[in-house]
Amino acid sequence: MNNLISHSYLILLLPLLSFIINGLFLCFRHRKMAAILSTSLSFLGAVFATIISVNFFISGAKPILAFNYEFLPFTGTLVATIGCLLDSLSAMMILTVSLISFAVHIYSIGYMESDQASGRFFALLSLFVFSMLGLVIAPNIFQTFIFWELVGVSSYLLIGFWYDRPSAVSASKQAFILTRFADSFFLLGIILLSYITKSFVFSDINALRLENFAGQMISLGIIEIPTSDALIFSTLLIFIGGWGKSAMFPLHIWLPNAMEGPTPVSSIIHSATMVVAGVYLVARLFPLFAISGNVLEIVMIVGAFTMVFAAVIACTQKDIKRILAYSTLSQLGYMMLALGSARVADSSIHILGYSAATFHIFTHAFFKCMLFLIAGALIHQVHSNDLNAMGGLRKKMPWTYAASLIACLAIAGIPPFSGFYSKDEILISAYQAGHPIIFACALFTSFLTAFYMFRLFFLAFHGKMRSIPKHPVHESLLMTLPILLLTIPTLFSGFLFKGIFHNFSPEVPLSLAKNLPSATFIPPLAITFSVLGILLSFLFYASKKSNPAKALDSDNRNAFYKIIYHKFYFDEIYYAFVRQFILGGLASFARFFEEKIFGTLVTFATTLIQKMGVLVRKAHAGSLPFYIAIMIIGLLFWYFASNLPLQGA
Amino acid sequence: MITIFPDILILLFPFVMLSLKLFLKVSLKTQENFAVGYFLVVFVTLNFILLGQNHFYLSNWKIDSFGIFMREIFVLSSLLAISLSHNYFNSSVSLKPKLLNFSEFSASVGFAAFGGIVVVSANDLLTLFIGLELATIPMYALVAWNKRDSEGTEAAIKFILTGSVATAFELFGFSYLYGFSGFITFPEITNAVATAQVSPLLWISLLFIISGIGFKMTLFPFHLWAPDIYEGAPTPVTAILSVTSKAVAITFLTVLVLGPLHSVQKEISPFLALLAGATLFVGNLGALSQSKLRRFMAFSSISQAGYILIALLGNTPNAKYSIVYYLFLYTFSNYLAFFIFSVVGKNQAETFSALRGLSEKNKFLAISLLIALMSLAGIPPLAGFFGKLQIFTTAAENGHFFLILFAVLNNVLALYYYIQVLKSAWIDKPEKEIALSIPTKQKIIILILTLSVLLLGFLPFLSNNLSIAFL
Repeated sequence: MNNLISHSYLILLLPLLSFIINGLFLCFRHRKMAAILSTSLSFLGAVFATIISVNFFISGAKPILAFNYEFLPFTGTLVATIGCLLDSLSAMMILTVSLISFAVHIYSIGYMESDQASGRFFALLSLFVFSMLGLVIAPNIFQTFIFWELVGVSSYLLIGFWYDRPSAVSASKQAFILTRFADSFFLLGIILLSYITKSFVFSDINALRLENFAGQMISLGIIEIPTSDALIFSTLLIFIGGWGKSAMFPLHIWLPNAMEGPTPVSSIIHSATMVVAGVYLVARLFPLFAISGNVLEIVMIVGAFTMVFAAVIACTQKDIKRILAYSTLSQLGYMMLALGSARVADSSIHILGYSAATFHIFTHAFFKCMLFLIAGALIHQVHSNDLNAMGGLRKKMPWTYAASLIACLAIAGIPPFSGFYSKDEILISAYQAGHPIIFACALFTSFLTAFYMFRLFFLAFHGKMRSIPKHPVHESLLMTLPILLLTIPTLFSGFLFKGIFHNFSPEVPLSLAKNLPSATFIPPLAITFSVLGILLSFLFYASKKSNPAKALDSDNRNAFYKIIYHKFYFDEIYYAFVRQFILGGLASFARFFEEKIFGTLVTFATTLIQKMGVLVRKAHAGSLPFYIAIMIIGLLFWYFASNLPLQGA
Repeated sequence: MITIFPDILILLFPFVMLSLKLFLKVSLKTQENFAVGYFLVVFVTLNFILLGQNHFYLSNWKIDSFGIFMREIFVLSSLLAISLSHNYFNSSVSLKPKLLNFSEFSASVGFAAFGGIVVVSANDLLTLFIGLELATIPMYALVAWNKRDSEGTEAAIKFILTGSVATAFELFGFSYLYGFSGFITFPEITNAVATAQVSPLLWISLLFIISGIGFKMTLFPFHLWAPDIYEGAPTPVTAILSVTSKAVAITFLTVLVLGPLHSVQKEISPFLALLAGATLFVGNLGALSQSKLRRFMAFSSISQAGYILIALLGNTPNAKYSIVYYLFLYTFSNYLAFFIFSVVGKNQAETFSALRGLSEKNKFLAISLLIALMSLAGIPPLAGFFGKLQIFTTAAENGHFFLILFAVLNNVLALYYYIQVLKSAWIDKPEKEIALSIPTKQKIIILILTLSVLLLGFLPFLSNNLSIAFL
């Protein structure tokens, strides 16, 4: 069976094949075929991924470089390769991505049934999965960057899938430009890092120790700084890449707006691809982050702030996809926080933070994917994203109702659902590593999470129907099946895999934290907070006395509520900034430069060249005496111009 | 002694061709098939000779890998030229009377190829000079082959008169080199150059030799003849001039510069670099506003000569490697362009306007033209790109970065005028409809050439062969 593991790179070929065949041949006329091909290949992928990762963990979870092809040797040691690294982290991600992708594929057949461009949709979806798989199996940071950008491009194409809607186009542009903005720092970080370490390979990068650079200086062109500072700086730059991709505050605004894409796309972006790439990057380079001074602290603070910030906004939103989007932001904040909190004050490492973060990536992927699929199913029925148009759907959609109860309990952190286990570990890690304020924030956010998720749940399914759907409401098999399938991992991935994730520990060149405080009081406390959140939500939105219409009214509110409802006006701030500063300032200056200065230069150069061309042409006028004369003159010319030492020594 | 066998075959070829006509009186068709088959056999035989890094002498006749590869290029060029001439002997092409005397024509082509072989095998100045003249004199005749075409005759007269001046330069340079070293054999000259390089005699002789060969290789400012002669000569002859003649010249320079003059390569490098830079710049400028295709190809090949010369600034194995590599690609791309021009110019003058509407009349030709010219311009992933890349890496070894930068900038100009041709073929609408027909044989050759240009970039077949031989 080890043979299979060593061929794990084949997992990349399935979505690539589907992308090429669909993109080139099937997408225009045979959209049914495209859907079938794509889905069956993704089924194969899911089976293959399961076999690989089961085998991998059974056979002792030793990292294997299954494939490594050198394609661009920059120098002797700095070689760009395309390869496939299989270790605990990537095996887990391969499994997650493939399973989620399969569920989303089935769902999309139903969801995209009436869309004429569904062939293109399936081609792009395969590209998206291909890029993400290539990203997670990358054995070096160069390949990571290639696939990182591919993920960006494919998300751009998918968010803007309905390119006839201006809002979708602007959302896709926003997502692409914002993440590209962060990626430029990432690229700088890669350049700086590979300049220092002379290697792209993760195993080399992760074995670095600051002590090895003690006293060394490195020249960055203009200034010379200590090598260890440069290394820390490069780590920070790399983190900024993950910052944008994982939509951490203040680069978060693209993620809620990315809802403009088809719901299956949102589902896959939020669960397994794209946004977790940032968290994955930090996890992949965790040993580097761990040695790089206070960078992990920055990671923690950014994560914690985003977590609370997004959860607060989610409590007021009315668009169900937006609520889910903010909940993703908040959960990503949890993951970042967990990674960041692994650093204890005496600069030892509490490895639980790392394993909790990866565990949360895993569990979160399933229930978040499920929640989005449910949201899509709801939207498909009532043809609106707005909670105003929903309510009382539990009788019409019993299966979906049951499934969403499970998903909401999971995200709220109620045992025995999966979210409880991973969130619990994050809380424990934050507490044990000695970050009480962060711990309190996380606890408070878990209360908020339970509150806003059940707000969504009660307002959508309970009470009376607030609008009359145009078509009779029913559950379509193709869309309900993946939702029900996903309840299995949502139920079981928590307590079944807890043990596996406990063994997730990268080799960090630092000492591990000892003498940790006991944290047995945390699980009951966390459950209490979650239950409180659910109860409060019930009181507001589902009890007999509650008034959903009033609860959903966003106009007659106090100023504080309005600020939150308008997402702290971040969209507007960005808009004003882009308008005034970038378009009005930088861009107009660049345009002036381009048109006046550069344009003049270009015109001058081309005119000059043309004039010279005419001159040369005229010299070849066909006069024989002239030709012979020029040969002799030419000889004399070179006598003086050739730089030969003709005059002797 | 199998290695000498192809040389003997090529030497015999003109006599066989003449005998076929004189004594056996076979038809034109048989003559053509025979000539093509003959060169094909020689080409295949050459491909079986693998010397690796060995070389040996037969009396004064040097055979090494570089020589074998250059032979392949000369034979390939002759083979393609003879195939290209098929149309010109069977009907009137491009509004000019049809050519006569095929056997003598192919005999001259064979002599020219043998001249190239002599140059690459030479181990003394006399052989070198004889080889060069043997490669040049048939060209004078070939340019004037169409006696009924006054343009051709005029071109031949210009060619022979300017050519004699160049030969005079050459001989004068040789005489000084002899005077300087006291020998005409290469090993002794090598010693003399290595021990007493300060003498002005040596530099004067080099100035004259390089200027003289500059005429053949169309280096600035000895290139002035090229556009007139390329335009006046029949198209197959233009193709030979642009490939065989240039290949002989660069071989000549390589044999000298990387041979006896190797110890002063550093001193002559600035001169070669200046020559290369000036040549490619002037070639590019001249090509900017042309309207006749053959004249355009003349300027294009002038600038290509500048590029090839850059390779001579590198060190021995890589320089030879990149010269051979580039010449192969240049042969394929250039002949491909000429084949297409000859098809297009079947019933009209070979001008840019003749290409108009090609993409609608014949997609196949239009795509082949695109590939040929993009390869000449050096666009990846076509073969021409790798040739240029190889040349630049070779020159970079000795630190000629400014020249490389200049050459790369010049590539922008080159791209501009190659795209001008493509614009005529793909975008411009034709003024009047002239029917286009491709004989099957031509079609097959064009297809083979297109695939070669396309695939040599992707497949490491050629470069592998070369690196086994040189590196």
